[in-house]
Amino acid sequence: MGYLDLGIRGLHEAYLRGETTPREVAEEAIRRAKENQDNALEATCYEEALSFASSLGECERDNLLWGVPYFAKDNFSTKGVETTASSNILKGYVPVFDAEVIRRLKERGAVLLGKTTLDELAMGGTGTSGHLGKTYNPWDESHHRMVGGSSCGSAALVAAGAVPFALGSDTGDSVRKPAGYAGLVGIKPTWGRISRFGLFPFAPSLDAVGYFTRSVDDAAILLEALAGRDEKDATSSDKSVDSYAKYQDISLEGMKVAVLDDLMGTIPERKIAKDAGKLLSRLEERGVEVRHVRFGEEMLRSIYITYFVISCAEATSNDANLDGIKFGPYPGGSTYEEVMLRARTQGFGKLIKRRFVIGSYSLMRENQEELFLRAQRNRAKIVARIGEILTECDFFLTPASPGAAPLFDEQGDRLSDAYLIADNHLALGNFAGLPSITLPLSFEEGLPLGVNLTGRAFDERRLFRMSALVEEETGLRNLSVRERKEGRL
Amino acid sequence: MNFEAVIGLEIHVEMRTRSKMFSSAPVTYGKEPNTELAPFDLAFPGTMPTVNEEAVRNGIRLAHALGMEIDPLVRFDRKNYFYSDLPKGFQITQQFHPIGRNGSLLIRTSRGERRIGIERIHLEEDTAKQLHFPDCSLLDYNRAGVPLVEIVSLPEIRTGEEARLYVEGIRNIVLYAGISDGKMEEGSLRVDVNVSIRPYGTEGFGTKVEIKNLNSIKNIELALDYEIDRQAGLLLMGKEVRQETRRYDEGKGRTVLMRLKTDAVDYKYFPEPNIAPIALSEEFVREAVETCPELYESKRARYIALGLTEKDAEVILQDKGMALYFDKALSFTKYPKSLANFLLGEGNQHLNKAGLSWDSFPLPPEWMGEAVLLQDEGGFQHKQAAEALALSFEQGISPKEAVERLGLKPQVSDEGFLLGIVEKVLSENAQSVQDFLNGKDRALGFLVGQGMKLSRGKANPARLSEMIRERIGKEE
Repeated sequence: MGYLDLGIRGLHEAYLRGETTPREVAEEAIRRAKENQDNALEATCYEEALSFASSLGECERDNLLWGVPYFAKDNFSTKGVETTASSNILKGYVPVFDAEVIRRLKERGAVLLGKTTLDELAMGGTGTSGHLGKTYNPWDESHHRMVGGSSCGSAALVAAGAVPFALGSDTGDSVRKPAGYAGLVGIKPTWGRISRFGLFPFAPSLDAVGYFTRSVDDAAILLEALAGRDEKDATSSDKSVDSYAKYQDISLEGMKVAVLDDLMGTIPERKIAKDAGKLLSRLEERGVEVRHVRFGEEMLRSIYITYFVISCAEATSNDANLDGIKFGPYPGGSTYEEVMLRARTQGFGKLIKRRFVIGSYSLMRENQEELFLRAQRNRAKIVARIGEILTECDFFLTPASPGAAPLFDEQGDRLSDAYLIADNHLALGNFAGLPSITLPLSFEEGLPLGVNLTGRAFDERRLFRMSALVEEETGLRNLSVRERKEGRL
Repeated sequence: MNFEAVIGLEIHVEMRTRSKMFSSAPVTYGKEPNTELAPFDLAFPGTMPTVNEEAVRNGIRLAHALGMEIDPLVRFDRKNYFYSDLPKGFQITQQFHPIGRNGSLLIRTSRGERRIGIERIHLEEDTAKQLHFPDCSLLDYNRAGVPLVEIVSLPEIRTGEEARLYVEGIRNIVLYAGISDGKMEEGSLRVDVNVSIRPYGTEGFGTKVEIKNLNSIKNIELALDYEIDRQAGLLLMGKEVRQETRRYDEGKGRTVLMRLKTDAVDYKYFPEPNIAPIALSEEFVREAVETCPELYESKRARYIALGLTEKDAEVILQDKGMALYFDKALSFTKYPKSLANFLLGEGNQHLNKAGLSWDSFPLPPEWMGEAVLLQDEGGFQHKQAAEALALSFEQGISPKEAVERLGLKPQVSDEGFLLGIVEKVLSENAQSVQDFLNGKDRALGFLVGQGMKLSRGKANPARLSEMIRERIGKEE
């Protein structure tokens, strides 16, 4: 067991006691990252990281992020460190500015070690479409299972125990789904809570900065550091930043959790649904009121297509800046059309192109009413329904996925409710911009299962409180493959 | 058959704000290419737009000047298309909710006043500037992101003259509101024209032709006059007008084909998700309107009320620098008309000679007021005051001091002194007095001349003339 396995608070205490230094810890993290065989890394900046760690001086008491090494998904702009979003169209692109979250972490003395793989441009949920190929789930050493995406590399490295936390981004479930597959805590706070400045946009109306940790406590600590108004992101909220990490003093009394029965009903026989049911009973025993509600099956079934139309439409516009003219590989050509056509033909993978075509199609004048605007109206309807549920209850609880991490070649029935609903419902949190967190629930044949809690907007403190209760009940905290290997799990 | 033209104008005005529409890079003109940039202007991934408050204020001021409804919620949309000068692959504009709607502009044509309806004005951002060479094209992103306001007229303009006056009117507003320098030659005011013709008395629309590349206000009128004739000629010959984009060839004095228009581009508009709608407080709107610098029309009315001719008022307002100087100097004199004469005469003369503009007029306004007072109250002739002013320009001294240095003597208006001269002139020139009484006006001039001679040029001729007239009248 090393300092990296202690979590953010434990590491901070070790620093305060003078037992170790940021440089030593960074070196250990780099060693672990190098050892990792899951194809989780894009660019690294180890030398810069080590010299930054060495320059940190005295440990700052109460600055819990001081000297904490981390990785960031490769769709955060990092000054001087190549950032490709796992797409060939950005090969060689070295940003001239830091994303706001990167800047804040640096200011707090956290040590960026490098950038992690993702589904190309964060589009995808499998961790297989990036230009470096598949990223593997560390819990399956045979490399047959995905860790999920799009924040695959960050999930893999935290689950591997290389770092206490890693940044991701979440447009549909890109942090919360892989968190479930990787036995981690993964959170997407309220839309506008964390500045998106410097996050490569996928679908800005849904995008959120998120991250992986191995405990609720660490997640809360990070939110305190990352949340808050940023003038550079006009959609960031000026609501004051709560002391998120002090959630323990919140009373559980009167807290209500909704269970979406029609969602659970799509996978009644699966272990994940049963374990979620057991968890609910235990929460009830702890005084939490559990309410069974029906969301509306038809509406649940429409989540995926609604998400797909809106996100592809926004994506096709956001990624129109990738044309080979200003940055990224310049393919040459005798007209600007030729340059753009070549850059985009050579630079994007097949799945991305498909999404652009769909997005563009749904925005076309003759289709917009039937596709894009209809999807927007349906989104509004869904948001209204969520609003009703969250007026009655404080949270709703769901399995994070239909089951454990799938095999790469597993072909689910894409039209089944198990897929349409239980595999895509996490986008509810993005539709409504709500804080949503995935926590370890249990294990199934050695693979982690996750449970998700979604709460009211800007109500992260109480969400952390409820999450801590879940953590207490499952007893699953600080999970990593290393813990299992070293026999502590 | 007689035709009437149906003309609609789209005017893009580049604002002279300190920073760009959505980024913090400065707005400049003529700087080294690609030096005035923020990462946003190059559309680096992860950059986000932040709305320029001053640009919104300008939008409010313009909307107010055009009598428009102002949308209290400022919202933006994306206009999506690929083009080499468009860094993001979309332009942020206001397609669905323009900041101003339903306004109008009054123009004074040779055939009387007309009110031209304006459909909308909206805020957006400029594109990069392209420089095309035989073997390559260069891009200057300094212009990318400069705030624009687009003003879309209703198709209510009927002649080239009206179009010119409309553009002049818009330019005067943006110029005097401090929104833009309105320079067509530098592209800070750009005009696209749509024109079709139809038989008089009909309601339908003919095939629309767009004219681009209009780089001066004069050319708008010339291009439209030509184009209207061209289209009428085609129709009269039984040919049809094609839907096309043309440009004005200044040398040849005619419009020439650029390209045939195919189906309109689908810009796939949708709301900009990175800018939350901005609610304008009533206070913000009121303040923007109240603090707007005085506009052209208001100044014009004021000048005319001060006694200036319409022509003089307009000539002064032609040059914003002169108008601003005029306003400042006004507070130092009670004689606006004389002041105007000094500015239009001696002022312009000096600036021409020195190669300066009114923005850098060398004399402080109080000195110009002083020169006027020398003439209108000090008894100096205009010629003398002008002479003094010339020395002021030359040596940077006040006109009063110049008068002393030049040893100029004011003319005498003293009643006692003049009365003596009048008596003498009348008694010595009885015949001329009689001539004047018989209706020979010229005789008065002779008598005044005699009086000037007697006073050795010191008498104030105007006063002298008045007194001679009075005196003869009394004798009668």
